[in-house]
Amino acid sequence: MNIHPSEKEIQQFAIDKSDCDTVAIVHIESCAKCLAEVSNYQLLFTGIGQQNKPAFDFDLSALVIPQLPSAKTRLSPDQFISGFLVFFISCFVGVPVVLFNKYILNMFSDISPFFIYAIIGSATVIVIYKTLSLYKKYQKQMQLLNFN
Amino acid sequence: MNDSKGNNPEDKHLINRVLHGDTRAFGIIIKNTENLVAQIVFKMVPTVEDRKDLAQDIYLKTFHNLEGFKFESKLSTWIARIAYNTCLSWIEKKKLILPGNLHDDENNDLPLKNVYQHSFQDSESILSQKELSGILRKEIDDLPVIYKTLITLFHHESMSYEELSQVTGLPEGTVKSSLFRARRMLKEKLLSKYQKEAL
Repeated sequence: MNIHPSEKEIQQFAIDKSDCDTVAIVHIESCAKCLAEVSNYQLLFTGIGQQNKPAFDFDLSALVIPQLPSAKTRLSPDQFISGFLVFFISCFVGVPVVLFNKYILNMFSDISPFFIYAIIGSATVIVIYKTLSLYKKYQKQMQLLNFN
Repeated sequence: MNDSKGNNPEDKHLINRVLHGDTRAFGIIIKNTENLVAQIVFKMVPTVEDRKDLAQDIYLKTFHNLEGFKFESKLSTWIARIAYNTCLSWIEKKKLILPGNLHDDENNDLPLKNVYQHSFQDSESILSQKELSGILRKEIDDLPVIYKTLITLFHHESMSYEELSQVTGLPEGTVKSSLFRARRMLKEKLLSKYQKEAL
């Protein structure tokens, strides 16, 4: 009982005594010196809490908002790359279809059914795999946003 | 992270709106957090003229990085971290010699006195509440930057140790020990002041 708690414990008692060690609580509550010290800290914390909060003397929103890029001009690098790829693939596929549409069916007539099935099969597997991973990513993001 | 970390649906909704180009929603985010940012800027940046530029810089950084916000903390804590780091960079750039180094600990500690010799209460009759408040404000301002920032955010903005750790990037244990030393230093300074006034 004669050993005073450390100053850390005194501070903790002043902030929230429920987080203090029971022995320290018993001592502090029965020790005038420690109670005076706790009281000092509590007055200090009250004083800090009562200080005026600083505030900017200008309208921050009015300064910042005009500097923000507009939604139309805001294109992220990912969006730009995706857009470019879509355009490139469309041209790559579309131009031969337009130019050689009469010969396209003939291109496939000589291919054996095994290759056709192999192509369709592997394409299906890739599409299923990509769809599943996309769905998993979507679920993960929805969970993150807590919209579920 | 979950809602226990303080992520509220309103913040998520606002972020979503901003990411879809609604700049008015960003205005609401500014209104919701500018008091916290002001606390940090006022404590870390002594020159009035630089505060305006820094405040704008903080929110422009926030806007440009909003897409990368992972909801691992409250939005306000994340913005406070940007504010803290921006002010820290400014201090380093200016090579400011502020009262006490940023993370200086022991050297700035006052020697411990017999804390039981005197108490603030004994002197309450000597100094008015207004004077007390003025003295306290001055003593807080004279603390090393990291101490006054931590003290203000903990006792004035009711931020937890975990949040302070997220804002400053310091380990939680370091935040706790820094706060302990800051409170002790402040108390010692005030006691010393009171004793002078009482004499």
